Amino acid sequence: MATIDLSVTTVREANELLRKYGADGIDVEVLNPDARHHIGVGLTHPINVHIKGSAGYFCGGLTDGPRFHVDNNVGWGVGDNMLNGSIVVDGNASAIPGVAIRGAEVVVKGNIGSRAGQVMKAGTLLACGNASFMAGYMMYGGRLVILGNSGEKVGQDMTGGDIYVAGKIGEMGTDAMLIDLPQKERDEILAFLDKYKIPFTGTFQKIVNAGKKLRYPKTEPRRRAIPFFESFADNSYWNAKVQEDIHVKSQIGRYRIRGYGASRPMPHLSDIAFKKDIRIGAMTDPDVISKIEMKTEVGGRSGANPLKLSMPVMIAPMSYGALSKSAKLALAIASRLSGISENTGEGGMSKEQREEAHQLIYQCLAGRLGWNIHDMQKANGLEIYISQGAKPGLGGQLMAKKVTPEIARIRGIPAGIDLRSPSRHPDVLGADDLVIKVEEFREATGYRVPVSVKLGAGRVRDDIKIAWKDGFDFVELDGMQGSTGAAGNEVLEFVGIPTLSAIQEARDALTEVGGLDMPVILMGGIKDGIDTIKALALGAHAVAMGTSAIIAGGCIACLQCHAGTCVTGIATQDPEHEKRYNVPVEARNIHHFLESVRWQIAAITHAMGYSNPHQVTRDDLVALTPEAAAITRLPYHPEYRERDQGLLKAS
Amino acid sequence: MCGIAGILYKNSAAADSGVGKALIDMLDACQHRGPDSTGFSLYRDPVPGHLRLRFIVGDGEVAAKAIERVKTKLTEFQAKIVEEEQRGSSFAVLVKFDGDLQKFAFEMEHAAKLSSIGESLDIIKDLGGAFDVDNVYKIENFKGTHGIGHVRLATESDVAPEATHPFWATGFSDISIVHNGQITNYYKMRRRLEKRGYFFNTDNDSELIAVYLADKLKHGFSLKDALKTSIEDLDGTFSFLVSTKDEIGYAKDKLAAKPMVKYEDDKIIAIASEEVSLNRLFPGRALNTSEPAPGTYDTWQRSISA
Repeated sequence: MATIDLSVTTVREANELLRKYGADGIDVEVLNPDARHHIGVGLTHPINVHIKGSAGYFCGGLTDGPRFHVDNNVGWGVGDNMLNGSIVVDGNASAIPGVAIRGAEVVVKGNIGSRAGQVMKAGTLLACGNASFMAGYMMYGGRLVILGNSGEKVGQDMTGGDIYVAGKIGEMGTDAMLIDLPQKERDEILAFLDKYKIPFTGTFQKIVNAGKKLRYPKTEPRRRAIPFFESFADNSYWNAKVQEDIHVKSQIGRYRIRGYGASRPMPHLSDIAFKKDIRIGAMTDPDVISKIEMKTEVGGRSGANPLKLSMPVMIAPMSYGALSKSAKLALAIASRLSGISENTGEGGMSKEQREEAHQLIYQCLAGRLGWNIHDMQKANGLEIYISQGAKPGLGGQLMAKKVTPEIARIRGIPAGIDLRSPSRHPDVLGADDLVIKVEEFREATGYRVPVSVKLGAGRVRDDIKIAWKDGFDFVELDGMQGSTGAAGNEVLEFVGIPTLSAIQEARDALTEVGGLDMPVILMGGIKDGIDTIKALALGAHAVAMGTSAIIAGGCIACLQCHAGTCVTGIATQDPEHEKRYNVPVEARNIHHFLESVRWQIAAITHAMGYSNPHQVTRDDLVALTPEAAAITRLPYHPEYRERDQGLLKAS
Repeated sequence: MCGIAGILYKNSAAADSGVGKALIDMLDACQHRGPDSTGFSLYRDPVPGHLRLRFIVGDGEVAAKAIERVKTKLTEFQAKIVEEEQRGSSFAVLVKFDGDLQKFAFEMEHAAKLSSIGESLDIIKDLGGAFDVDNVYKIENFKGTHGIGHVRLATESDVAPEATHPFWATGFSDISIVHNGQITNYYKMRRRLEKRGYFFNTDNDSELIAVYLADKLKHGFSLKDALKTSIEDLDGTFSFLVSTKDEIGYAKDKLAAKPMVKYEDDKIIAIASEEVSLNRLFPGRALNTSEPAPGTYDTWQRSISA
């Protein structure tokens, strides 16, 4: 048995030591924990860890295998996302104990705080005392056993799993109901209690999901898809899309879901032009790429290993789930061929994707769908998703047709539901909590992997300052011209903030707090190398491309991404549809497109007389419309429009 | 977006146990929750017929002008300065005054930014961490019976001494609060209070809580009853601590979204955002703490016999 004394060792050092002892199979005793945060985070070996006192936030979080014993209390999020192993807490647990566990056993001898077992997927969370507000909130699976009283709103919006309450049941949560307790399940719980030597002879009431909110009551009727450009090409008031919307709503009686992003004309990078003279002749130089330095590093500002991009471009986050495995694979291959990074999006990391992409960012969403310590440790970047440009403030939607058994298994949710992912992180209810969360990710990966945040443009000025204060290595900032696999049409059209405003506000905010050392990756309607250079000049460090990469890989922009019957095999989980997708061909197409972006970046940079696209500044830009000028404070020069169009043709 | 801490020594015999040091330690332990600025509400010995005022004046020429305005205004109110001190970005005075406090307070606001007024209350707040503020204001050796403190991570309003907690209930002596969370019906409640003639010093939602509670106390509510109604009247997420000359109390919203842990024994009651702050007072000990339930409140009184 080894000993670690936290009165003389930092938690960071202690966690490194724990990993070392874990690898050697040595049990550990932790002295003087004094309620410090992150004790035991990231441990993946089945050793015993005895914490002699109280532990703080995320004790034993992001782990697989260890058995913790805590002599006193624990703070928020004990056992966060734990796969296998156990945590026994002799005292009380604060809020969200057992959050997102995926098989672990978390036993609390005292009382547990609010939102116990939020988004848990599998395993057992046991409270010997009372639970608090919203126990079992949005749980997807596993069992929550409460020997005391349940607290108010028990089982609120639970999707799956079982809650057993021995004491008094407070107000039931929405979409939860009481059912009879099968004898077999009581016996199983008693056996569990016996295993942890907890004397109990009573019985339980059982709470499960009532099934009223798992599916939209009526599915949208199938219609011939009207492509994006056709839908909105006609500027007349009662255009084809408006009429179709009204017809469909008259049948389903609710908002419509569709794929893609905002269609309304809005100020964008196309309303900005280059002011500096461009030598069109220089663009025809066949060696132009070799003359321009555009390698871009992102994510090293706090000492982590940065992403090394061959150009200031990334693939934007899109989930396996919204997209087929084949489409994700093609993106991964293309990202490798072009020397840039790929991003998992919400639905977890697939083995094939990991193997193909050389630089892969792994995204953590509020539902913790597909999130686990092993993939975190395999990732080249970790990203906390706060929201998305196409639907800021809302969680993802994945219609039942796409929630196949395989997708459900990876995400840890029941198959065949209309998945509406939570929009709020269980353990991030403010900037103060977020600091502690970021630190947990760093502890879990030994401070080697950059941690970024994805922000949908909303209150950019405030959000970006918080991101900087919370020490993120970079921000992916997403404007409303970005797309999504599924969202309410009204949200897509009327909620977001244009990409152009987003980058301007971000730049202003970072200048105000002296935070320009934090890179901003701009996304949301970035079409090509020209947009990329404009974004860079306006203050972005790089851009990320989603829609354009998908179109390069065969998307026909029919807006039916949500339906699950994508004819190109991109936005589907149906093997019949997916087999139409030719991975090597589409990977090559995406790669070719990315190389055209590289060429554009090089040609324009060169033609402006620079040697690096990062040298282009605001002084090289003008605004073509009064709106764009107002947003960016660039000089208004509509006369540059003609030249800008010439440039488009030339490139 | 912040961390909060408060402590009360129940028996006057324990009054020299060191409120200043305890608050510094507790706030330093949760500084990760708020690195921008730190503040303390201290309760000094009252001098009968006198008031303590502390202003945020900045430094250099700006400070000199502000102090001049303060002195002129004090003369107008025939408030005679007994003691004065300029320290850090603040200027503190002890004045002889027995007029209408509310009018006095609102008028003094026009001279310089008021941090606090009270017979006992002295709110010390500035940029930086708990130790930074202590270095300038020498809080460590402060004795007393109780106090509250706060570390702040600015989200919407500025990083500035005046935007730092604790907040004084503008216009009322000796009441202060520290708050973690967001009051979502801020403007509605503020307009309601403004109609009753109250003046707001900042746009910070936490100041609203202080004025709200002070208004209730003025109308004869006990602190406990005022806290009870606050849970009904205020929307949003909050965990806050309030202190008066003789009491400290807490209230926690029904959504239980913001943390709060308390420790109590025969001698003290200590409350903080995180147990790690409480454990700083008792290193190496496993404390018997508890988490206030959602939608609850409570108060503790110091022994008045002191």
